[in-house]
Amino acid sequence: MRRNIWLYRRCLGAQLRATLEYEGDFWIMSVAALLTQGMGIVFLWAIFRTIPQINGWRFWDVVLIYSLVALTEGIAVLLAQGAWSMAVTVNLGGLDTVLVRPFSPLLQVLSSQIGMNGLGNLALGGSLFVAALRHAGTSWTPARIATAALVLACAPLVKIGLNVLTNCSAFWLKTPWSMFPFAFHTLGELARYPISIYGVVVRVILSVVLPYAFMSYFPATAVLSLGSAPWLGLLTPVAAAWCLVLGRWAFRRGLLRYESAGN
Amino acid sequence: MTAVVTGRATGRPADRLRRALRTDRALGRAAFRSLVAYQTSFLFGLLATTLAAVAMLYLWRSVLAAGTVNGFDWPAMKAYLLVAFVAGSLVSSYVDYRMAGRIQQGDVAMDLVRPVDYQRSRFAEALGFGGYELGTGLLVAAVAAAIFGGVAAPARSGVVLFAVSAVLVLPLRFGIVYVSALVVFWTRNYVGVQSARIALVTLFSGGLVPLAFFPGWLRGLAAALPFAGMASTPALLYVGGLSGAAAWRAVAVQAAWTVALWWLGRAMWRGASRQLTVHGG
Repeated sequence: MRRNIWLYRRCLGAQLRATLEYEGDFWIMSVAALLTQGMGIVFLWAIFRTIPQINGWRFWDVVLIYSLVALTEGIAVLLAQGAWSMAVTVNLGGLDTVLVRPFSPLLQVLSSQIGMNGLGNLALGGSLFVAALRHAGTSWTPARIATAALVLACAPLVKIGLNVLTNCSAFWLKTPWSMFPFAFHTLGELARYPISIYGVVVRVILSVVLPYAFMSYFPATAVLSLGSAPWLGLLTPVAAAWCLVLGRWAFRRGLLRYESAGN
Repeated sequence: MTAVVTGRATGRPADRLRRALRTDRALGRAAFRSLVAYQTSFLFGLLATTLAAVAMLYLWRSVLAAGTVNGFDWPAMKAYLLVAFVAGSLVSSYVDYRMAGRIQQGDVAMDLVRPVDYQRSRFAEALGFGGYELGTGLLVAAVAAAIFGGVAAPARSGVVLFAVSAVLVLPLRFGIVYVSALVVFWTRNYVGVQSARIALVTLFSGGLVPLAFFPGWLRGLAAALPFAGMASTPALLYVGGLSGAAAWRAVAVQAAWTVALWWLGRAMWRGASRQLTVHGG
C-alpha cells in the first residue's frame, strides 16, 4: 500500500514536470477552466435574478452543489486524468508496456496524465464552496464540520470510480475516441442541479445505477441539511467505495479481453 | 503561396469557377462520409448532447413552473431552447479539431502547397459536416420535443427573417470556429482555446439562458458581439420574440459579423502561415 502510494506520487510527479515544460499551456488551461466554470455560475445567477428558488433551493444552495462539481472534477482531473487516456492506450496497444512493469496496471493508467485545468477548477470550486456556505447561513456545529469533511473527501472518489468504469468501455469498443465515457460524463453534469427537478427515471439513474449525484447533490444535502432526506448524503463513502470497486472490476474484466494491437 | 495561386488561375473564369465548385463539393462529401463511417462513436456523442439538452429542458420547466418570466412561458422557452440547440449543434467540433491537429502536427504545411484556397476548403468541409450535424440535431430536438409534449410551429410574422437568420448560423459559427482554430498557430494549445471559446459562445449566444435574463448592460454587450447570432437571434425569431426594427437590426448584426469574421479569418491566415513552426524534419 505504502509502495503503491509512493509510486503513484512519483508517476504523477513525472507527469507534472513534463506538463510544466509548457508554461503557456498551463495558463491557457487554467483560464479556460475558470471561464467554463464561471459561465455556469453566470447562468445560475441569471436564472435566480428572476426567481427566488427552484424546488426549495435558493441561489447559494445551488452554488454549493455546483462548487462540489467543480471541486470533485478538479481533484479527478488532477489526480486521475489518466482514465481518459484509456481509449487511445488500448487502441494503440500501449498497455503492453504497462503490463510488464511491477506496479498495478490500473494505478499506472490513472497516473499517466495530469490535467492542469484541475487547479483552475479547484480554485474556483473552493472559493464558491466557502462563499456558498457563508451565504447559506449554516451554523458550524462539530457534527456539520465532520459531515462536510467526510463528504468532501469521498465525493471525488465517486467521480474517479465512475470515470474508470465508463472508460473501460475502451476494452470492448476498441475505438481511439472517448465518446462513450464522455456521454456518461455529460450525464454526470445533470447532477449540477437539484435532482428533484428531474423525472423519476433520471433520478434513479443518477442516484442508484450510476450514482453521479453522490459527487455533488447528496453531499450538498448533507452539509446543508436540505431536501427530503439529508441523511442520504452520509452514504457518500459507501457510494465512493461501490464506484471504485465497480471501476476495478471493469478494468480487470477488460484486461482479460485485452489483446494488444497488431504488428 | 501566391505563386501556387496564380499557377491555378488559368483558363476562363467560368471554367475556374466550375473547377472550384467541384473541389468544394468533393471536400464536403468527404467530410460528411468521414462522420458516417464512424457511426457508433458519433451516436454516443449524440447521446451526450441529447442528455445536455434534456437537462436544460428539465431545469427550465422547474423555473417556469410558477408562470411567465421575462416574457417567456414554458411552451415558448421549450421552442426557444430547441431551436438554439439545433443552431448550437452546427460546426460544433470537427472542423477545428481537424485543423488544430494538423497545425500541431505540422501537417498544415501540406495544406499550404495545395492549389486550393485553405479557408474556402475548410468551409466546404464545414458544410459537409453541417449536413450531418443538422440531421442529428433535428433528430435529437424532435425526440426531446416528443418527451416534453411537442413544440409550436414558427411565429408567422417573422418566418422570412427566421429563414435568413437560420441560413446565416452556419457561416457565422464557422467564422468563430475557424478564427479560434487559427489561434493554435500562436498558442500551440488547442484544448484550452477550444473550451474557452465554447464557454464564451454558450453563454453569450443565449443557448442556455435567453439574453433577456441578463441585466441591461450585459444584454447590450451580448447583442453587439457575434455570439447572439449563433443561437439567440434565430431562436427568438422562431418564437416571435423579435419583431419590427429590432428583428431587422438583429439579423443585420448577424450578417455583418458573418462577413467580418470571414475577412478576419483571411487576415489571420496570412499572418499565421508566415510564422508557422514545424518541428522535426
